[in-house]
Amino acid sequence: MFRIIKRFSSQLTKTYQDVVIIGGGPAGLTLLTALKTSPITKNLKCTLIEGTNLDKVRQFNDPPEYYTNRVVSVTPKSIEFMKHIGSWDYIHEDRIKQYDGIIAYDSQDSESRIEFDVSNIGKDMLASMCEVINIQYSLLTKIESLEDDTINIKDNIKVIDIINPVEPDMNHDLNEIDKNTAIPELDWPIVKLSNGESIQTRLLIGADGYNSPVRKFAHIESRGWQYNKFGVVATVKLQFEDFRSVGWQRFLTTGPLAILPLTEDNATIVWSCTPELSDLFLKINEKIFPHLITAAMVLDEVDLNYIYEVLKENPDDFSILKDIEWRLSKFDPLTLEQNYPLPVVEVISNSRARFPLKMSHADTYISSRVALIGDAAHTIHPLAGQGLNMGQSDVSALVEALEKGMQRGMDIGSPLVLENYVSNAWPSNHMLLGVCDKLHKIFSTDFYPIVFARGIGMKSINMIDTVKDFMMKQISGK
Amino acid sequence: MNRILRRSLHSSRAVSQKLTSTSQSEMNHFNSLASSWWDINGPQRILHKMNLLRMDFIQDTVRNNLKLNTTKDEEIYVPGYSLDILPVGIKERIVQDQEFKKDQLLSETKFNVLDVGCGGGILSETISRLPFVNKVTGIDLSVDVLEAAKLHMEKDPILAEKLQYKLSAIEDLPKTDKFDIITMFEVLEHVDYPSKVLLEGLKRLENGGWLFLSTINRDLISWFTTIFMGEHILKIVPIGTHTLEKYINQIEIKNWLEKEPERKSNYKVVDTKGCIYIPAYGWKFTNCPDIGNYFMAIRKM
Ligand SMILES: Cc1cc2nc3c(=O)[nH]c(=O)nc-3n(C[C@H](O)[C@H](O)[C@H](O)COP(=O)(O)OP(=O)(O)OC[C@H]3O[C@@H](n4cnc5c(N)ncnc54)[C@H](O)[C@@H]3O)c2cc1C
Ligand SMILES: C[S@@+](CC[C@H](N)C(=O)[O-])C[C@H]1O[C@@H](n2cnc3c(N)ncnc32)[C@H](O)[C@@H]1O
Repeated sequence: MFRIIKRFSSQLTKTYQDVVIIGGGPAGLTLLTALKTSPITKNLKCTLIEGTNLDKVRQFNDPPEYYTNRVVSVTPKSIEFMKHIGSWDYIHEDRIKQYDGIIAYDSQDSESRIEFDVSNIGKDMLASMCEVINIQYSLLTKIESLEDDTINIKDNIKVIDIINPVEPDMNHDLNEIDKNTAIPELDWPIVKLSNGESIQTRLLIGADGYNSPVRKFAHIESRGWQYNKFGVVATVKLQFEDFRSVGWQRFLTTGPLAILPLTEDNATIVWSCTPELSDLFLKINEKIFPHLITAAMVLDEVDLNYIYEVLKENPDDFSILKDIEWRLSKFDPLTLEQNYPLPVVEVISNSRARFPLKMSHADTYISSRVALIGDAAHTIHPLAGQGLNMGQSDVSALVEALEKGMQRGMDIGSPLVLENYVSNAWPSNHMLLGVCDKLHKIFSTDFYPIVFARGIGMKSINMIDTVKDFMMKQISGK
Repeated sequence: MNRILRRSLHSSRAVSQKLTSTSQSEMNHFNSLASSWWDINGPQRILHKMNLLRMDFIQDTVRNNLKLNTTKDEEIYVPGYSLDILPVGIKERIVQDQEFKKDQLLSETKFNVLDVGCGGGILSETISRLPFVNKVTGIDLSVDVLEAAKLHMEKDPILAEKLQYKLSAIEDLPKTDKFDIITMFEVLEHVDYPSKVLLEGLKRLENGGWLFLSTINRDLISWFTTIFMGEHILKIVPIGTHTLEKYINQIEIKNWLEKEPERKSNYKVVDTKGCIYIPAYGWKFTNCPDIGNYFMAIRKM
């Protein structure tokens, strides 16, 4: 056995990888950029594998006129981190909208309002709205600008199997692996790719999203639940540019509806709702949908339910527009102007999409030679807009742990190195997941006593600065 | 199979009694620990954890004692007073410049290291991975732990070109073999003639070279934390690892160095730091090197 290892190890030093990242979403690309720009870790040999074609990201060099529909709220802390790793230089800044407050209110009691604004945290901005692809583009461009030949990006290639050479089993055939690039005697994970290649790596990173194959390989349990809700997203145009630069969120009993500002008269919506409603929202005529959004930010839920019923019968029933107009006309125009978002006048074609909402948290983020980041480690209700930001702080904590490990001469796959990452990142993520989950549960109900309590809750949130501070700090990442 | 074969080739598990060597019972003790040496959740977890702090100690000492300006007209500014009295911006700038210069100096450095009493190689491996280390030789008198060390280094292909292990007593290494760093971590308390082992180490230092050691003060706290708590109550250290009468107080090492004029002029204790193990947290430096475990850095001038 001893001799076999010796013979292969000379070949292996040429081809083995220090870090293999599965997933070219925001989390995976951020980690690669951070590792390659840190003076301590930059010499690590890194490979990133992404199942889809990254040319779509590269083409964002010449961005489309309209906004793409995956828009996220990015905290100043995340932006600071992306500046630190140098990727923010490549962002299309003209497509980023800073906003400085969120006005959240209740469908059951419009007097219940929380107004978050920057004066609460002594900052000049709360967060920025930014397309996910803009972030991916900036990261990928930064990575490619490094012209570093220890970086290997393989896109359009899927991971089909991950083998632990120490515990091979029936399903994982060690005979099938490419012996030029992997040696079964070494206890490093072997990643098998759809193009027939195998790569053996000191440290395997799961940045592979909610269904993380890496998490399954590492036998890490992830606990959580589906909300039986969907998030419908769309890019829209407002009547005109809203100089208030705030986001609006209304808690409907079917789930929150948020309108968040983009540059000029553009905005993006996230509408959490039941599966049936999400079906409907995707089907409704493109010319009717904008007015439904406007209505849903203002009208009573009884009225909304009536409108849904009409549209369920016929999603192209234009007569409903008159009805909506009439119902809105009952409101005092000045109140509408001051206390509600501007009317939505257009939905960008093909920008509507939906995602199942879920909450989950992995029991841990590591096992021997494996670490999880981003949605592979946790998914959160989109209500607080924290998913991507949590991934960014995972990366920052992981890189810090790896840097410390490298400085101490440790094998970066060792749990002694990775433990520092979990102890830094897990507890705060857990707290955030818990708060968002509870908010979701409190606000998704029309059961009268709870609404009553909720009204009090909202009003008192507005009064109790400490609670508000906590929420503010999460949104702005401070 | 190979292991058994190789073992039976050695009539005794340890090489025969050496000037610096250890009692047979010590050797038997470490031989029996060989197989679990690298289990980070096993009996040597405490050493694995301590190693993190040792590496910090070595790094910091080496970095902080680099000579930043080799010629008079070099540009790195090292004021003759504490940086803390300067305005923040200026201080940051100076620190940044200094750190940059240190990185640069270290990137040109290629240290040769000798790890005495390397055991399963916990420190030998980590020090091998440092970019400014060129070659590491780990020596020990226990056949079995050396075998565990050799087996484990195969788990990382980059170690092969930097690290080698030898079954050897320190006095049997040629006097002409000189090293930039010699380490004796958790060794002196296990040998019969600690001062001889230390002296053999010091003699093999290059000019400007470093000897790093760690051991335990012979005091009641040490007995309480390492033998009583560690071995009997917490069971984090295997029973039989320590014997109190072999503990050496840090001040004894300092006095011994100063006793002889030649030693006094050649070697200087640059730093001594106490450290303590806190269950569930790990190791932490203390500001009292006279109690419990301590690290020491001695430099050849
Ligand atoms: C409706 C909605 C609204 C949201 N709003 C916000 C918001 O306002 N703010 C916010 O911060 N976050 C928001 N999020 C969450 C945010 O989009 C995600 O948290 C973020 O995209 C996660 O990034 P990631 O890199 O971890 O995972 P992903 O973006 O899921 O990337 C995973 C990648 O891994 C690849 N992959 C998976 N399996 C394999 C395989 N076997 N082989 C190769 N490649 C593979 C996939 O192709 C994918 O590219 C929202 C999410 C939803 C659904
Ligand atoms: C507690 S272990 C420490 C091992 C290693 N230095 C570490 O800290 O990870 C002590 C080691 O010293 C070795 N040892 C004891 N006496 C020795 C001697 N005289 N010469 C060399 N090694 C010795 C033992 O075999 C054992 O491996």
